[in-house]
Amino acid sequence: MIELAVFLPLAGGLIAGIFGVRMGDRAAQLVTVIPMLIAAILSSYLLWHVGIQGNERTIELFTWIDSGTLELSWALRVDTLTAVMMFVVNVVSSMVHVYSVGYMSHDPHKPRFMAYLSLFTFFMLALVTADNFVQMFFGWEGVGLMSYLLIGFWSGRPSANAAAIKAFVVNRVGDFGFMLGIFGVFFAFGTLDFDTVFAAVPEVAGRTFSFLSMELDIVTTLCFLLFIGAMGKSAQIGLHTWLPDAMEGPTPVSALIHAATMVTAGVFMVVRLSPMFEFAPIALTFIVFIGGSTAFFAATIGLTQFDIKRVIAYSTCSQLGYMFFAVGVGAYPAAIFHLMTHAFFKALLFLGAGSVIHGMDDEQDMRKMGGLFSKMKVTASLMWIGSLALAGVPFFAGFWSKDVILESAFAAHTGMGLYAFWAGIAAALMTAFYSWRLLFLTFHGRTRADDHTFDHAHESPPVMILPLVVLALGAIFSGWLAADYFVGHHLDEFWRSSILMTHNIIEEAHHVPKWVKFLPIVVGAVGIVLAWVMYIAKPGWPAKFVAMVRPIHSFVFNKWFFDELYDRIFVRPSFVLGRGLWKSGDGAVIDGVGPDGIAAAAKDIAGRASRMQSGFVYHYAFAMLIGLVLLASWFLFGFFG
Amino acid sequence: MEELLLEYLPILIFLGLAVGLSGLMVMASVVVGARKPDPEKNSAYECGFDAFDDARMKFDVRFYLVAILFIIFDLEVAFLFPWAITLSDIGVFGFWSMIVFLGILTVGFVYEWRKGALEWE
Amino acid sequence: MNIAVDISAIWPELFMAVAAMVMLMYGAFRGEGATRFVTWAGVLVLVVAALLVLAGPAGKTTAFNGQFVVDAFAVFAKVLLIAGAALALILAQPYNMREDIKQFEYPILIVFAVLGMMMMVSANDLLSLYVGLELQSLALYVVAAIRRDNLRSSEAGLKYFVLGALSSGILLYGMSLIYGFAGTTSFDGLAAAFATDSDAPVGVIVGLVFIAAGLAFKVSAVPFHMWTPDVYEGAPTPVTAFFAVAPKIAAMALFVRVMLEPFGDLVAEWQQVIWFISLASMILGSFAAIVQTNIKRLMAYSSIGHMGFVLVGLAAGNETGVQGILLYLTIYVFMNIGTFACILAMRRQGRMVEDIDQLAGLSKTNPYLAAALAVFMFSMAGIPPLAGFFAKFYVFLAAIEAGLYVLTVVGLLTSVVGAYYYLRIVKLMYFDEPAEAFDRAPGREITVIVTVTGLITMFFFIGLAPVLDGAEAAAAVLF
Repeated sequence: MIELAVFLPLAGGLIAGIFGVRMGDRAAQLVTVIPMLIAAILSSYLLWHVGIQGNERTIELFTWIDSGTLELSWALRVDTLTAVMMFVVNVVSSMVHVYSVGYMSHDPHKPRFMAYLSLFTFFMLALVTADNFVQMFFGWEGVGLMSYLLIGFWSGRPSANAAAIKAFVVNRVGDFGFMLGIFGVFFAFGTLDFDTVFAAVPEVAGRTFSFLSMELDIVTTLCFLLFIGAMGKSAQIGLHTWLPDAMEGPTPVSALIHAATMVTAGVFMVVRLSPMFEFAPIALTFIVFIGGSTAFFAATIGLTQFDIKRVIAYSTCSQLGYMFFAVGVGAYPAAIFHLMTHAFFKALLFLGAGSVIHGMDDEQDMRKMGGLFSKMKVTASLMWIGSLALAGVPFFAGFWSKDVILESAFAAHTGMGLYAFWAGIAAALMTAFYSWRLLFLTFHGRTRADDHTFDHAHESPPVMILPLVVLALGAIFSGWLAADYFVGHHLDEFWRSSILMTHNIIEEAHHVPKWVKFLPIVVGAVGIVLAWVMYIAKPGWPAKFVAMVRPIHSFVFNKWFFDELYDRIFVRPSFVLGRGLWKSGDGAVIDGVGPDGIAAAAKDIAGRASRMQSGFVYHYAFAMLIGLVLLASWFLFGFFG
Repeated sequence: MEELLLEYLPILIFLGLAVGLSGLMVMASVVVGARKPDPEKNSAYECGFDAFDDARMKFDVRFYLVAILFIIFDLEVAFLFPWAITLSDIGVFGFWSMIVFLGILTVGFVYEWRKGALEWE
Repeated sequence: MNIAVDISAIWPELFMAVAAMVMLMYGAFRGEGATRFVTWAGVLVLVVAALLVLAGPAGKTTAFNGQFVVDAFAVFAKVLLIAGAALALILAQPYNMREDIKQFEYPILIVFAVLGMMMMVSANDLLSLYVGLELQSLALYVVAAIRRDNLRSSEAGLKYFVLGALSSGILLYGMSLIYGFAGTTSFDGLAAAFATDSDAPVGVIVGLVFIAAGLAFKVSAVPFHMWTPDVYEGAPTPVTAFFAVAPKIAAMALFVRVMLEPFGDLVAEWQQVIWFISLASMILGSFAAIVQTNIKRLMAYSSIGHMGFVLVGLAAGNETGVQGILLYLTIYVFMNIGTFACILAMRRQGRMVEDIDQLAGLSKTNPYLAAALAVFMFSMAGIPPLAGFFAKFYVFLAAIEAGLYVLTVVGLLTSVVGAYYYLRIVKLMYFDEPAEAFDRAPGREITVIVTVTGLITMFFFIGLAPVLDGAEAAAAVLF
């Protein structure tokens, strides 16, 4: 059953990918959607079976690598953590599959799209079921590849290609850290098997190694390196620049990959490796700092953007920040909890935005929307639900998970924990604000769309609405249903050994002062009201306010100038260096001396050799005699050595 | 080794004699002969070339054909002399070997005859 | 001396000599009308001779006071060279008819040349070696100049003759030195002499170098190769095809036998000579071919290069080396005959074209021919699984076994360079704009030979094992 849940998407993807063109669009959609739905049902059962009933297990499929002391098996490790991830991945993915049938109905390359989606899902499942670092890396790279292919799916657009390349390159930076981390693990532990490594961590902890005459703590260093990988994949501050650009991909892709699943792989990885990170407090502190900063920083940018998908993208970035600082303070279950609820409501928001875009003839600029509530009531209502969940309004999913994160941060009682707490509170305020800004600009007020577009704006077909409804159910109930197991009383028997917490911060989180518990709700409400004032009651205010704080606004609006900075520091020098190496290094030196040089020399020799062929018999005879004399002399005197 | 080389001594003596004798004859003609050159005398034979001329010139191949044909039969005779002398030593095998050789030569002769190589025009 | 045993050892040669003379007489009396009949009769004679060779005495037999030897090595080489000669003769038939080469002497000369080669291969004495070599050479000089009215053909014949005479002189001089210092011309006697006295006198060494040089001329190894391109280009194409195959096999077989039987104990002495000419041949053969525009000249350099590769096997001086040589020569026969058959099909409006550029776009105008030629070119470049790969593989295997690493590395590098000009032809045929189409129907004989040799080249690996076994048995007799 586990195998089915993992390999059904692969089968569907391969069939659709290889035979897609021949079997036709409809068939390709069926062979991908149906296995996905089955896999989703199976993994829902698995969540109950493994998580609640406690039947965790590891299935060894085959020996993958057996080289010297490196021995790896391909195994499916299914514990609660994996079961949760499989549930999230398969459910969201199956909904996105269904949704795509409608969303991509005008696209000429449907089979390819469906195949990519299914293959992505498989790689994601390979990642979460990994039993060792290399298998995880396989899935890690696989999802990166599929992300690249899907962002650049509309390869006719230069911007899509650029975004795809950017995503890939930025991820490589993170992957480099991840790879170094894996190498380091093998170096330090002599194995890449999770269980063996985890068992050995307490022994290795505290040991140091010399690097550039610095004494570095092994486990801390490894955790730093691994976290760099997670930063790349999960778009944390510094390596986040690819995520907003990735919105060039079709919206279902944004929902699946860049909101619900792939970007959370970093969080999953750190949680999976919690037995290592628990022994690296410095690395954890760093994670808190990065997470808190990202949550705050991405939220500020979200305030200013006008592209509907980019707003949600920055929101995703910000929410990932929440998850990371939860991880950093040791509240791993809270992080995973938020990961799951976030997957539902963020996928819902993205798909809802996609529904709007679909109904508006591919318009993404919110300045050209407004008043669409009357045109697409269902989508608008569902988007409201999503936003309520996102803003952490009580009893929606986000409320449960976000609150416990903020409480944990406060309960950590460390300087960094408090930093994260206040950054999180500020982000929560902004989250509520930009969510309702989005809702008001899109669905309410008077329309700013041109008449033609507005008249043609329409509700999406049922095949797109149905997945939204399913996700909305998740966005409403998943927090309430799961809180007890994920972060509540059943926490220990639910997670069991899949997560290691050296001290139970969740428990402490439940005993924080009352004002800490209420503050997120209050700031959420303030944000919503503020948005109502600015965009419904007094529509002139935003412009005035922007004029007042123009320098700050332009700083934020330009995304803190990260792209420009990177362009200056990395991209342009790389181009210059690359061009230099290409022209002088490769062109002049390597080609000149290497292939071209050898070819030219060969031609030259050939010319000389054939010029020797003068056509005169006496030249030939002379050559023969010379040769004879040389050979005989060589023999007699050995003057060639 | 010495013994082997000693066997060649007669040849060396013969060579010495031949060189000496021919040298003597040439010298004698130079010393004794009367010379009254005129253009007719200085010109080449009809078969040959000018004595002092570019070597790259056209010539009539027929003279060479005759010369080569002559050489073949000349060599045949050169073979026949030692054969005839040693016939008693080499016996039946030697006898028939030469007959076969002559037969092959005859085939060649018939061929050149049929091809008209023996006719001047 | 038992004359019956002697005769039984030379049945094939005897038959060929008599048959050739009968053909000569027939032709002489029938005139030019006999050409066609004589040609096919010549093929028949060759086939019968091959059968007689195969039916010859099993095991090693010497005849005529040790002048002549028949062993597995000789049989292998003889069958091979007869096959090459017969194929070349068949190829010549349509060409000669078209180009008005009416002399009935042509097939007869070929038969005589083959007779000479067979004597070379079976020579067991420096004298019989020389007689066989000259019989072969004289016949070849004449066939090179068979088109008396063609300037290039005459030039080719004359050059070949002059230089051939020079090389014969060198060879003969070397023999006389050997005889002078060793006191015998018999291979067995020489072998016995050097077996006891490994410190050979200087005269023998010099004589050995001279003999090697004379033989190197026959296999057109650098620096005694200079005649090859001019003769290949000037001679009529079927003659070139013949030149490329049969004499090379005979001379190489002779070379191997001379080096390994009488001088087998002087390996250390001659190995460096062979090493050098092999190296030089591979390098020159691959580089000089790059700038050629005439396909026959290209084939000349190609054959120089191939002989360099074959000599690698000889330089190795071990049993694997000889086995590799025989395998190489076997494959070489089919590749070359096939390629020349393709060249013979390069005919446009009744005239032969020899420019490589004229092959442009052949894949579109004549896909069958292009495919066949591509197979031969790939094989010559040594690309697996075509025959040429195995040829190179085994000689280099032997070289590595013998520790000749420099030679192996240079050989592999030059085969890369060689691949360039072979593949250039493929590129011309498949990727360039088509030139004018060649004439259809190059002749049934040519089509059949292209097909047969092409199939052999392509699927050689199927029959690799028996050929290797045969070559191994043949190689064993020399050690």
